[in-house]
Amino acid sequence: MESHLAYLDAGSGSLIVQALVAGTAGVVVAAKLYWRRVTSVFRRKTPAEATAAPVETATPAAATADKD
Amino acid sequence: MTPEHTRPVAEPGSFRDPQTRVFHADGEVLRGLGAQAAQDWKALRDSEFFARAQADGTVTATEEIDRELPGEPGTWSATLRHEPLPFVTYHYEWSHTMRQDAARLHLDLLQQALRAGFTMKDGSAYNLQWRGSRPEFIDVGSFEPAKPGEPWAGYRQFCQTLLYPLMLQAHLDLDPRALLRSQIDGVEPAQMRRLLGGTKRLAAGVLKHVHLHDSIQSRNADRSTGAVREQLRDAGFNSELVLAAAKAMAKLVTKLDWAPPATHWGDYRETCSYSDDDRAAKQRFVDAALDATDKTDLVLDLGANDGVFSRQAAARAKTGYVVAVEADPAVVDTLYRQLRAEGERRILPIVMDLADPSPGGGWASHERASFAQRAAKADVTLALALVHHLAIGRNVPLPAIVDWLAGMGHTVVVEFVHAEDPMAQRLLANKPDGLFPDYHVETFVRQLGERFDIAKRETLPGGTRTLIAGVRRA
Ligand SMILES: C[S@@+](CC[C@H](N)C(=O)[O-])C[C@H]1O[C@@H](n2cnc3c(N)ncnc32)[C@H](O)[C@@H]1O
Repeated sequence: MESHLAYLDAGSGSLIVQALVAGTAGVVVAAKLYWRRVTSVFRRKTPAEATAAPVETATPAAATADKD
Repeated sequence: MTPEHTRPVAEPGSFRDPQTRVFHADGEVLRGLGAQAAQDWKALRDSEFFARAQADGTVTATEEIDRELPGEPGTWSATLRHEPLPFVTYHYEWSHTMRQDAARLHLDLLQQALRAGFTMKDGSAYNLQWRGSRPEFIDVGSFEPAKPGEPWAGYRQFCQTLLYPLMLQAHLDLDPRALLRSQIDGVEPAQMRRLLGGTKRLAAGVLKHVHLHDSIQSRNADRSTGAVREQLRDAGFNSELVLAAAKAMAKLVTKLDWAPPATHWGDYRETCSYSDDDRAAKQRFVDAALDATDKTDLVLDLGANDGVFSRQAAARAKTGYVVAVEADPAVVDTLYRQLRAEGERRILPIVMDLADPSPGGGWASHERASFAQRAAKADVTLALALVHHLAIGRNVPLPAIVDWLAGMGHTVVVEFVHAEDPMAQRLLANKPDGLFPDYHVETFVRQLGERFDIAKRETLPGGTRTLIAGVRRA
């Protein structure tokens, strides 16, 4: 999806900070983002994952955390 | 193609968004819109939000016209025409309260846009300009329909060009103009972090917008914004959050006040050495010079102090526009607040050291025009009780001052303060005796006469100040 990439480099970190600036609801979003990142890293590092099919027993968040 | 128009020239400062470009033609300001931007414009044009922003003047008056613009065939799908600005300024020429009001307007428009289903593509101080004491958002191409889950792309730019400069002044009493003038993209989070360590971390907004911003930025440096956008969306980010962030920032901006200190020039009007007769004669002379000038669309009042003569010029030149240029930021801030309270739309105060005026900046040094370039179109220049500051205070040779004046207004009104005047004496006291043997009114008038036809000359009753009106030779 190209259209959402604005002409301006918004700064990947700056986009996350914006969520934190938005108050509690934003902090929840940022926490979720980080949690998904952590669990996705964790998943990639399990030896089982290196050889076998994706593990479906990880936390629910991890199920959709394979985006980056 | 309408052959009666001259070929539009691209504005050097508008190339960053390839979807839109500003052109100048015969004093008109035109904007080309690419296919996507033209679609966005149609949505914007039909919105109630835009109608409101047009009615209250917060977004530059804009209409769609039928005109071809230069570029490869098919580059521009639509052409807009904007109401021209009498004088363009950059944020390194604004006082603190001006910056605060400009930032507030930006966030206000962002909030209104979000409520109407739009967002803004950027967050740059360069998109804000002034009509007198009122800020105005000039980049109509910045609005686009919001997409679900999309953060504000302009947050970082807003921090770097508006929020951080406000923090520097409010939290450190550090004038941000020098940094802004030398870095077109504004102050970096990492720079701010170094400046705002220790207990300053606890000052309003610093922890989040500076420290957290910098560390999150460096930890995400190798991730693309596309990837992060997607992650945010998946984590439930939505435009309500952008709205909440904009609100929080607006609150912060309002907190970032700065009380101008009492400066040397702050009480000039009370401490200056004019008698009532001197003052009255000076005012009459300036009025007469303005009355004798047929074109007063743009008047520069150089070394304007509290703007007494800017006001006089605005009153005299009924339709004209006056730019009050003054080096002391505290004096400009006070003047701005007064003008704002009066709702003055025809006097624009700016901060600038005329011995070191704004240079050109950005790409090829042309993206931002130098003060000299912008001042060249002035009709009248007032330089009242200023020349001694440049000649004695800053050692600028008189012929160089004359050349400089000849690069500006067609008509000049100069008040030359004689070396014997107490004010000149004060400046001379800081320099070795005899350093300025040529500093003399006769010398100055002769040199001025080489570039200008001297229309009138009058020494004030006090005997130590001479007013000279000149018309530049073609
Ligand atoms: C003597 S006052 C004159 C004020 C006003 N023009 C008048 O005639 O009443 C000089 C003013 O020029 C300003 N000034 C001095 N040097 C300047 C410079 N290099 N650039 C801009 N303003 C300067 C001072 O801050 C001060 O406000």
